[in-house]
Amino acid sequence: MIDTRINRRSVLAGGLATAGLAALVGCTPAQSSETRTLQFWHLLSGGDGITMQGMLDRVNASRSDFRVRPTVLAWGAPYYTKLAMAGAGGRAPELAVMHSSRVPGYVPGGLLDPWDVDLLRELGVDESTFTDPVWNASVVDGELYSVALDAHPFIALFNRDICDEAGVLDSSGQLMRPDSPDGFLDMCREIAGVTGERALSYGFIGDGQQMWRLFYTLYCQHGTQMEFPPGGNIEVDEDAFIASLEFMHELSDGEIASQRGTIDSAVAEFAAQRTGIHFTGVWELPPMQDAGVPVGATMIPNIFGTEAVYADSHSFVLPHQMNPDEQARSDTYSVVAELLKGSLAWAGAGHIPAYLPITEDEGYSDLTPQSDYAEAADYLVYDPVAWFTGSGSNFVLQFGQIVGSAITSGSGYDEALEDFRSYVNGLLAQPNPANPQGDLS
Amino acid sequence: MTDLMAERTADGSQAQAGPDRKASGAAPPTRRQASRRGQLVAWAFLAPFMVAFVLFVIWPLIHGIYLSMTDQSLTGAGGSFIGFENYSEALADPVVWTSIGNTVWFTLITTVPLVVVALVMALLVNTGLPGQWLWRLSFFMPFLLASTVISQIWVWIFNPDIGAANDILATFGIEPVAWLQTANLDLISIAIATIWWTVGFNFLLYLAALQNIPDLQYEAAAIDGAGRWRQVFSITLPQLGPVTGVILILQMLASLKLFDQAYQMMDGGSSETSRPIVQYIFEAGFVGYRFGYASAISYIFFVLILIVGLFQVIVLSRRKGKS
Repeated sequence: MIDTRINRRSVLAGGLATAGLAALVGCTPAQSSETRTLQFWHLLSGGDGITMQGMLDRVNASRSDFRVRPTVLAWGAPYYTKLAMAGAGGRAPELAVMHSSRVPGYVPGGLLDPWDVDLLRELGVDESTFTDPVWNASVVDGELYSVALDAHPFIALFNRDICDEAGVLDSSGQLMRPDSPDGFLDMCREIAGVTGERALSYGFIGDGQQMWRLFYTLYCQHGTQMEFPPGGNIEVDEDAFIASLEFMHELSDGEIASQRGTIDSAVAEFAAQRTGIHFTGVWELPPMQDAGVPVGATMIPNIFGTEAVYADSHSFVLPHQMNPDEQARSDTYSVVAELLKGSLAWAGAGHIPAYLPITEDEGYSDLTPQSDYAEAADYLVYDPVAWFTGSGSNFVLQFGQIVGSAITSGSGYDEALEDFRSYVNGLLAQPNPANPQGDLS
Repeated sequence: MTDLMAERTADGSQAQAGPDRKASGAAPPTRRQASRRGQLVAWAFLAPFMVAFVLFVIWPLIHGIYLSMTDQSLTGAGGSFIGFENYSEALADPVVWTSIGNTVWFTLITTVPLVVVALVMALLVNTGLPGQWLWRLSFFMPFLLASTVISQIWVWIFNPDIGAANDILATFGIEPVAWLQTANLDLISIAIATIWWTVGFNFLLYLAALQNIPDLQYEAAAIDGAGRWRQVFSITLPQLGPVTGVILILQMLASLKLFDQAYQMMDGGSSETSRPIVQYIFEAGFVGYRFGYASAISYIFFVLILIVGLFQVIVLSRRKGKS
């Protein structure tokens, strides 16, 4: 009795499973024989994701021989873990998006395949179609490992109405660009006089990434950049390091900017038009426009003497494939070229398209306030090159741990510098975990 | 009370031993065959689980020990045997110890309120507040939320600039606090959110236990002249002893595993005073790609939990022995 019941069930279950399997097997070849599918991983969500999907739709509509299938993953450490594992397995997606600053850490482990520069040139993509900082950030050990889609710098958004009332706009309606720390603080006090609250929205509390973005902008404005030589010691300008932290403390005094601003509260504050300036990434521009803020945008004023804009780039990379399919590779190249040529749409999301023919185009100069900060592309600074740096890395989080209390308390700068130095030197002495047996690079 | 328990377990074990004794005693051969077939069927039913158990629990456990002695990278590189190097590095790594300290501290500051608050809530509801279902529902509801949801809610409540928590403090004239961004306070804030989130489950366990206490005990006590408080301390609380034991153990296990809400409330970042050990293992393995090292830390943590577990067993059994 029991036996028969079990049999009937197992027969039923087995039948269903077989039918399901047959259905699966049946549908796969049909699809792949007609149009080839290109797997594309990216980390662009929200407004960025919608824009990217639109660009992909246009590429897909123009081609019948292949179809790009995007997989969207949440950005941050988990994305890079997944991408690394895919590359390690050698059966990675054909194409992926990475932050340029993370590329150097990936290359020594053999997780990425280099781009064929000649093939790209045939498609109209070469060194001359990018600014120097963008191109240089794409080259690792003399090979091109990433093709930048954009640069997304850390900039200053401003509220035109509030800043106009405070008299801090120039004749062309742009935010004035004071050339000294005190000049900037004075300008902020004018704005605070109008808002009756604070002048500047800048969220940083407990957020190493946000602290690093502004800090490194200010640090590089001193005309210097940090060097992280593998196996050696950090090269850091002590005066620039401390002056940058001091200025960040002066900003977050509770009157110019909040002493406890988080990235969320800063967005909320500026969107509610309670402040005149917002230090943030370009990606916050569209949400502010949607919120009805009369928003302008400009580079963070050059207050320490040298123009510098901290940025990162979304870049196309070829995750390592053990046996790359030649046809798929060549499809991938044409997808990237077409995406670059269609990246005017990408500018709508706030980013500066990396492909120069786009930013030199009239369509782009008509796009304001995006074109107001296009100049930033010439002054970009990326993270110091090392295996441990880059967006979403432990390094930026740890930076926040090290300098956080110095910024809020206005003391202990020397200790912060020493802690930072020994932290970085410790990392420099370790091999890249993506390649533990390699030399220290 | 404990005697009663002992009797009950004795009964239980007798009941279990019963059929066995019959089967092995004067059973004819046919019955033995039947029982062997029964065993086969039992194994057949167990097999799917056993396969999954061995594949996903036992094998990773063994493989992990091997991994912990290699410099295996998540990216597939490395993998050569390096003996106990990872262990000596981990034992000397201050972050390992501060993270373990954080996890233990979190366990302490959540377990006690999770027992006491749940008990008070259950007692209140059980005294017959009007609208019992509403209380039950609202106390239990947070537990149904995903950790992602409660993390988002509490990140906003704890926002130092525009959060509700500081608004409440402000009505009492207290200066605003950076809940999740201040050293030492961050873990306490995570604990507050966790208590709000999970206390409902313990509340439900307590409520069920309370409703299981026979009314006649209270009646007898009332006849003997015991007041309300006397009844709570002499009947209710002692009767809740076993369920408190269960809650304590569940709570300790849950708290030692702390990761989800801490990771999400700190937005993937971490501070020296809030990073739980599980997060450090995650950071070492999945962010830093050092699988070998991450495995070594997890085994160190594993051994520590094992010691705590053994200690618990010894203490419990000694207490039982005394009574």
